[in-house]
Amino acid sequence: MLLFIGKRLFVLLLTMLCLSFIVFTLVTIEPNLKKLALNQANMRMEEEAVQSWLLENGYKRPLLVQYSEWLGNALTGDFGYSTHFRKPVNEVVWPKLGHTAILMFWVFILTIPISLLIGIISGMREGSKTDRTLSVFSIITTSVPPFVSGILFTIILSSWLKLFKGVAKAGNITFENFTLPVLTIVMYDIGYIARMTRASMVEVMNAQYIRTARLKGMSFMSVVFKHALRNALIAPFTVIMLQFPWLLTGVVIVEKLFNYKGFGFLLVSAADQNDIDVTLACGIVAVILVLTTQLISDIGYAFLNPRIRFS
Amino acid sequence: MSKKTVNGKPLHKAIEIYQKNALAGKLGRREFLAYATALGATTATAYGMLGLAAPKKAQAANAKKGGTLKISMSVRPFEDPRIYDWSEKGNMGRMICETLIRYTNDFTFEPMLLESWTVNDDATQYTLNVRKGVKWSNGDEFNADDVVFNFTRWCEAGVEGNSMAARMGSLVNEDTKKAIDGGIVKLDSHTVQLNLPAPDITIVPGITDYPALVVHRNFEADGGNLMANPVGTAPWKLISHEVETSAVFEKRGNVDSSGAFTKYWGDEPYLDRLEFTDYGTDPAGEIAAFEAGDCHVNYQTTGDYIDVHESLGMNIVEAVTAATVIARVHMDLAPYDDKRVRNALQLACDNQVVTDIGFQGRGSAAENHHVCPIHPEYAEIPKVATDKSKAMSLLKEAGQADYEHELISIDDQWRRDATDAVAEELRSAGIKVKRTIIPGSSFWNNWLQYPYSTTSWNQRPLGVQIYSLAYKSGVAWNETAHANAEFDSLLADSLKIADADKRRVLMAKMEAILQDSGIMIQPTWRKLYRTVAPGVNGITGMHPSYEMHFEKVHLS
Repeated sequence: MLLFIGKRLFVLLLTMLCLSFIVFTLVTIEPNLKKLALNQANMRMEEEAVQSWLLENGYKRPLLVQYSEWLGNALTGDFGYSTHFRKPVNEVVWPKLGHTAILMFWVFILTIPISLLIGIISGMREGSKTDRTLSVFSIITTSVPPFVSGILFTIILSSWLKLFKGVAKAGNITFENFTLPVLTIVMYDIGYIARMTRASMVEVMNAQYIRTARLKGMSFMSVVFKHALRNALIAPFTVIMLQFPWLLTGVVIVEKLFNYKGFGFLLVSAADQNDIDVTLACGIVAVILVLTTQLISDIGYAFLNPRIRFS
Repeated sequence: MSKKTVNGKPLHKAIEIYQKNALAGKLGRREFLAYATALGATTATAYGMLGLAAPKKAQAANAKKGGTLKISMSVRPFEDPRIYDWSEKGNMGRMICETLIRYTNDFTFEPMLLESWTVNDDATQYTLNVRKGVKWSNGDEFNADDVVFNFTRWCEAGVEGNSMAARMGSLVNEDTKKAIDGGIVKLDSHTVQLNLPAPDITIVPGITDYPALVVHRNFEADGGNLMANPVGTAPWKLISHEVETSAVFEKRGNVDSSGAFTKYWGDEPYLDRLEFTDYGTDPAGEIAAFEAGDCHVNYQTTGDYIDVHESLGMNIVEAVTAATVIARVHMDLAPYDDKRVRNALQLACDNQVVTDIGFQGRGSAAENHHVCPIHPEYAEIPKVATDKSKAMSLLKEAGQADYEHELISIDDQWRRDATDAVAEELRSAGIKVKRTIIPGSSFWNNWLQYPYSTTSWNQRPLGVQIYSLAYKSGVAWNETAHANAEFDSLLADSLKIADADKRRVLMAKMEAILQDSGIMIQPTWRKLYRTVAPGVNGITGMHPSYEMHFEKVHLS
């Protein structure tokens, strides 16, 4: 297991290195640097002034020299300075990541129990009215993209019923202004995880050992809780772990819709403004999160499934 | 009637000539007001000379003190005023710093950090009387050294992005790219004199623009960053600022923590706190904020959203302005180096149709020469009559009938819509047009090089300012590459103070040169709108240059 984790950590570091170099190369190509200069000084600056600005600020040096400098600083925990937000990167990225983490926390707190419950109830009795009803509900919620459901919730729950606010302020969240962004993501996510859980549950409930247990006289609920559930949760566990990286980068639409300035907003803004250091830091954070959740997913999968653990 | 001036001296000779012209109907009311106040007449006097009463300032004897005003606006960094390139940056900086003279909603010039100013007869010498009793927020006294420091740095044409250098053109030495020797002279602790080598009437309007916010004389020594070192004379102090998120300002107290005197020189504002929030480029966020009571006033409301805001019970204030959008060509690039092609594009476009469709009728049709009827020097010349068949004939004659024009615009709704309307007009004449929309963050990368694109221009108080900024040969913002010696000569002459009729003759020639060159389709003079929530008092109109002033604003 230690070797497995060690290999994964090595892959993580290698990926971070490769990705940072690719991103660095892309953000320092000429048109992007010109955009940076214009954003920094004056949008209507002349070409001569642009070139002068780039020279003065060290962007005319060889790519490898600039990259080595960035990498050397990054290894000491200094991810540079945000040219767009006018702050050290560490003061920009971590607070934004924190805002998205709060959003993700509440999304998971609500999504996981509700979706698992729907999936399990639905999958326990395949083809029943309950199954069909819950399946339709799950399909509908997953089929409606967040930018549609978000607008619908805003119109109905904010504009018409005045229950919640249609804008959320990161760092100053209240039940009133935070409900709609959470609800929008939860509704989309519930259906997906519920469908996966149902499929897994249906497969388990049709397995030979479940039938044997029932024939031996065990009650239906005992079979479900003692035998089916643990096996049925293996697949949803992987899906849930994969939601972390999706949420980190995928919430951008919801963050934009409700003006919640989190990590997704930061990622788009940094790329849009060619904020080199923030874009690189966001890339690194995304890689760490994706590979870490994959690692946890693999370990958890092995823990839940003895066949993998013992192989 | 006693004719009062801001400097206590007799009225400038030219003002009485303007008065005669205005009373004879040769000069519009707004034109007269702008001219007269630029030359030192008080607003009340200027109105009085037309037999009108000056608009009363909001009387707010019983106004409620305190409260927080919530403003929706793009929150941008605002380090150094002279390189500001967005009005929003100006509005951020304006909460801390002030201008020497303010351009008002009434199209007049009001003294701010200058108590008064005097202009000699041929506009080659300006005497600026610095307001006494003004303190910087760090306790220092505001004096002539600050004014000299600011004029000197405004003239530094070699500093990247310093757009003030173009406004101070007559004070800049083209070789050294700095202020001319003897151009800026401190006469005493509160008097500064500007000595110009040639007449220039754009100095006063130029120092009202948003990059002309006055910074402390130690601004550069202290880092040259207003965000990091927010020392100013305005009544607000910076509490927090996060780009693209929010900014908070609070009313300055009397004494700061170090014991320095910080009282504001003017009337104490009613509000305690200003909160700017950036709701992004999608107007839906701003609408939700107004609806939720999280927003009291915005920067600007455009297009269809005006009706939406009204349906929410919001108040809309508006201004007829000289702000515009032009569909301009680059004269040096084929096929636009052929005058026939340029003229064909103009002939194919009905500006009234573009105004009705692209701007939902919110504005008035313009005349393809970028000087507005509200500009003091506007001269009425024959308009370009739409003639689509003649347009196609000209293109055929030029061998460009099948050429596909790529019309580029920035990606925001109102400019996109306006450009689409222009493209549709051209297509209706049989001209092939391809539309390209570039995101706002990239659009400005090559804005001077696009062969055919639309650009928005803010209002400037004088038409000659626009011509100096954008159409004079070789100037930095000359996006059309327009170069015409006769035009340049007329422009130089028109900067001199002269009889209104003579100036109008010069302007008529310049307008005709630009219109005939075909370098632009200028469809519309825009009306600008701002949304104000019920319960907010003291915002009586939209500023023609998007400026925000909250000293007199109070909440019910």
